[in-house]
Amino acid sequence: MTGYTYARAKSLEAAIDLSLRSAGNAHFLAGGTALGLMQRQGLIEPGLIVDLAAVPGLDAIEELDGVVSIGALCTLRRVELDAIVARRLPALAATIRHVASVRVRNQATLGGNLAHADPAQDPPPVLLVLDAALRIAGPGGQRRVALAEFFVDYFETVLEPGEIVTHVDVPIPAPGSRVSYEKFLPRTVDDYATVSVAVRIDRGADGRIADVRIALAAVGPVALRIPTAEGLVRGHAPDEIDLEAVAAAVRDTIEPPDDVRGSAAYKREMAGVWVRRVVGRLLRDIGTEAAG
Amino acid sequence: MTARLSPDAGTLAALARPELRIDGPAKVTGGAAYAADHVSPGTLHARFLGSPLPHARIVSVSVERARAMPGVHAVLTGSDVVDMRFGRRLQDRPVLAWDRVRFVGDRIAAVAADSVEAADSAVAAIELELEELPAVSDPEAALASDAPVLHPDAAEYAYLEGTRPPVPHPNVQGRLFIKRGAEDLEAVFAAAAHVVEATYRTPTQHSAYLEPHATVAWIDEAGVAHIVTTNKAPFTLRKQMAAALGIPADQIVIDAGVIGGDFGGKGYSIDEYACLLLARASGRPVRAVARYAEELGQVNVRHAAVMHLRTAVDAEGHLLAHDARILLDGGAYASAKPLPHLALAGSVATMAGYRVPNVRIEALTVYTNFVPGGHVRSPGEVQALFAGESQLDELAREIDAEPLAFRLQNSVRQGDEGAAGEHYREARAEAVLKAAGAAIDWARPRLPGTGRGIAMSARHVGAGKLPLRALLHADGRVEVRTGLPDQGSGSWQVIRRALAVAASIDEGRVDVVSVPTNEASFDPGVGGSRVTHIASQAGAALGTRVREWLEERLPAAVPAAAGDVHLIGDRFVDGAGNDVASIAAVTAKLIVADDPVELETVYDGAAAHAEGDPGDYDFAACAVEVEVDPDTGRVTVRDAVIAADVGTIINPVAHRGQLEGGFVFGLGGALMEELSVDGGAVTSLSLADFKIPSAGDVPRLRIVLVPTHVGPGAFGAKMAGELTNAPVAPAIANAIADAVGVRIRELPLSAERVHRALDEGADRMPLYTRARGLR
Repeated sequence: MTGYTYARAKSLEAAIDLSLRSAGNAHFLAGGTALGLMQRQGLIEPGLIVDLAAVPGLDAIEELDGVVSIGALCTLRRVELDAIVARRLPALAATIRHVASVRVRNQATLGGNLAHADPAQDPPPVLLVLDAALRIAGPGGQRRVALAEFFVDYFETVLEPGEIVTHVDVPIPAPGSRVSYEKFLPRTVDDYATVSVAVRIDRGADGRIADVRIALAAVGPVALRIPTAEGLVRGHAPDEIDLEAVAAAVRDTIEPPDDVRGSAAYKREMAGVWVRRVVGRLLRDIGTEAAG
Repeated sequence: MTARLSPDAGTLAALARPELRIDGPAKVTGGAAYAADHVSPGTLHARFLGSPLPHARIVSVSVERARAMPGVHAVLTGSDVVDMRFGRRLQDRPVLAWDRVRFVGDRIAAVAADSVEAADSAVAAIELELEELPAVSDPEAALASDAPVLHPDAAEYAYLEGTRPPVPHPNVQGRLFIKRGAEDLEAVFAAAAHVVEATYRTPTQHSAYLEPHATVAWIDEAGVAHIVTTNKAPFTLRKQMAAALGIPADQIVIDAGVIGGDFGGKGYSIDEYACLLLARASGRPVRAVARYAEELGQVNVRHAAVMHLRTAVDAEGHLLAHDARILLDGGAYASAKPLPHLALAGSVATMAGYRVPNVRIEALTVYTNFVPGGHVRSPGEVQALFAGESQLDELAREIDAEPLAFRLQNSVRQGDEGAAGEHYREARAEAVLKAAGAAIDWARPRLPGTGRGIAMSARHVGAGKLPLRALLHADGRVEVRTGLPDQGSGSWQVIRRALAVAASIDEGRVDVVSVPTNEASFDPGVGGSRVTHIASQAGAALGTRVREWLEERLPAAVPAAAGDVHLIGDRFVDGAGNDVASIAAVTAKLIVADDPVELETVYDGAAAHAEGDPGDYDFAACAVEVEVDPDTGRVTVRDAVIAADVGTIINPVAHRGQLEGGFVFGLGGALMEELSVDGGAVTSLSLADFKIPSAGDVPRLRIVLVPTHVGPGAFGAKMAGELTNAPVAPAIANAIADAVGVRIRELPLSAERVHRALDEGADRMPLYTRARGLR
């Protein structure tokens, strides 16, 4: 590890300004859980670290006009235990419980988790099916990016130099909506996913599936939705959906890597298995509700 | 045979109390000083240049740039230390390689600098030119007639204490060979009613101790070398260092003491040699602390194994013959192996605890261009038992026998010899198998997708010689001074409790102080499941000495106490049960303050056994119930039982910790632990990639104690450290076969491996499962 300059920003503007004035290799520090690891492994060599801890106004969780807005500096633990999240986005709270340990979740932030763009992280697929969008501040002012357009490649996002994720906006799903997340951990409960799957199904008044989102993580460079699979569910009655075809669509789309968590072929197979299981379970849940 | 008596009720009651660990307070308050904590002003930090290639000739190493860098005090390369090789028995590993490198990470140069960062920068500035040589990647390839010979100069290597046994091929490190029964084994196989034959594999694994290897070395004004180390056998390290570096042993002082986890890995030291040479070159203390990536990628791995087994039964299901060829990947150097044969003693345990009249077992440790293999908890047994206990199950299914009944039919009874010729003082196979079977409710019908499996181990209790010295103080304290380290399993607590119980004094009076080699007498160190045996015996002998010393001199201190007065329950009590005096009152009269009385005893574990005595063994059976997800192959252990043959338990909390921890250790080895290797280099270089079980992975686990008091330790104690881990993997493999009808012959029993087998072999259901009509 080589030397670097540390600066603590007192405002968003100062943070952006500081990072742009450095000769290069500026990194923002939020919770530091990922930054520290990457530094120790020699994956990054920051010249400047801009600490965001003292930047005000980025740690609130608010509900406004059908959207839950989560400040990017909220720790994962804070999101997991928040009353608004528990009531409006229970699937997000349940998903965050899969991330590392309480100790890590007390430190890691939601904004940092997304900006880190680790394709095996738990929150991204659930936030994808929830249609989350990010508010981003930068030298050119504010902009808004749908999470589906945010990830570019392994550990790479659309963030430009000087840009900081400030808020994660999550629309509250309609009452007929069901969301579920499954993390496949074949080795140990304490691991990154071999594959993970998030599914959201919105039941229409006619009993058909009004809308559906299927997203996966750990199966390629970015967490992603699978529109071909969604197309085989959307608009159909639950009992006419061919789950094996949905699974096949997923298998055909993803390009998982070979690694210690499984071969590419196995991960592809497992992605199909878990999509079939999660979609099937949500369809059964919806059927039960309709019958009840 | 030495008669062994059960301890009396009072002794058993004293031993049954849950212990407060002697090393506990310092550890939980952060006060315990581990090797890496020994930093004095001016200490330099060592970093090393390792080979990037698995096998290469060193063309040139240029260190001029590195030497000139700021903060750098010394740089050494192999050419500075030509012919300096080290090892626990065979000294075949260069301190720094000078002519060729034999594995990725093989040390080429060492740097001592003001900071770790400066040392790293200097290492990065060393210019290295290598000429790649063909690498030998696995033991089978290494034994080919035209395989590259990795150690052409082997005849020149030093071999400590004795003569190196001959080897059948220059790439063989060591060999064990057992032949019993019929001369013509093939004829027995040919005439047998049933024969099964299969190849089993286990991967390279790591013990994953918490504390990395660390050392601090310096040379004092008198020229004496001092080494603070994580090595758990300081006296043998001193001997190895003296031989490797050409320094008289009395000019080396080794200080071990508190060690942060071991599981076999802390018997081997690497950095101590170069650090001492750097200290000599720089005139400063030099400290090295391994990074965890280095631990996983370069230090003391479990030998991967390829094991070809063939076993025959007669028409009545009696084991008739067993033939095993065990190839163990010894890596680039035999340096980490301490035993005279340079093999793994446990690797012939394929059929430990079973009666087999005709046997041939050959186990070879083989040189390859890989990380040198070392001892990891139950070395050899973990590999051999996975193969042997899997094969027994396959055999049972082949003849449509019930697996537990088949084992009971063939397990050793009192007086039987084991398959490898073992003589058991107490044959406890039947007892542990029955206890495990009963606890898991073996005969209860299985639910679809679930299955049960069982496996047994029988392991020798270690032995050795241990001297102990106590200082009896005027205030009634007993201070034991020992060079025996505590690597976390509680060796000092064993000494304390054994002493206190034998002396009949409060444990709180007894302190155990770790001293360096120049202040202690030679001991064999921690390892081989010997500590409870020898430390309890030495502690108890010292306790008896303390009691006798006090009782003999009691009349001089308390004239009224003449006659039948004894030390009982920390008080001097007369024959009528009356309190006569306190210990402190007596010691205050007999001993001058600041001039403690010194008492010494030596326990010699080898001498305590008469020639021809049967050996002391510990039996254990593991039974598990698993559920297999048919779509993913994921194996979930739903229920687990360890039935353990235990002697008198000295420290109940530590004992249970060893038995439960051993199961979890075995669970990790069974289901997840595997170092990934690419191009001869380990690639899973963090504990995020090389996974070990966490608390959430541990299933319902019950320990069933099958007690005896016929152990070699004090009060009849046996061992616990290497008792329960080895049978776990075969028990789970057998349960998977029972659940879904596939036989996995390779560890770990990963979901992907099970899934693949289910895909490929869905129609090859074994007889036993089919007969029960499941699936």
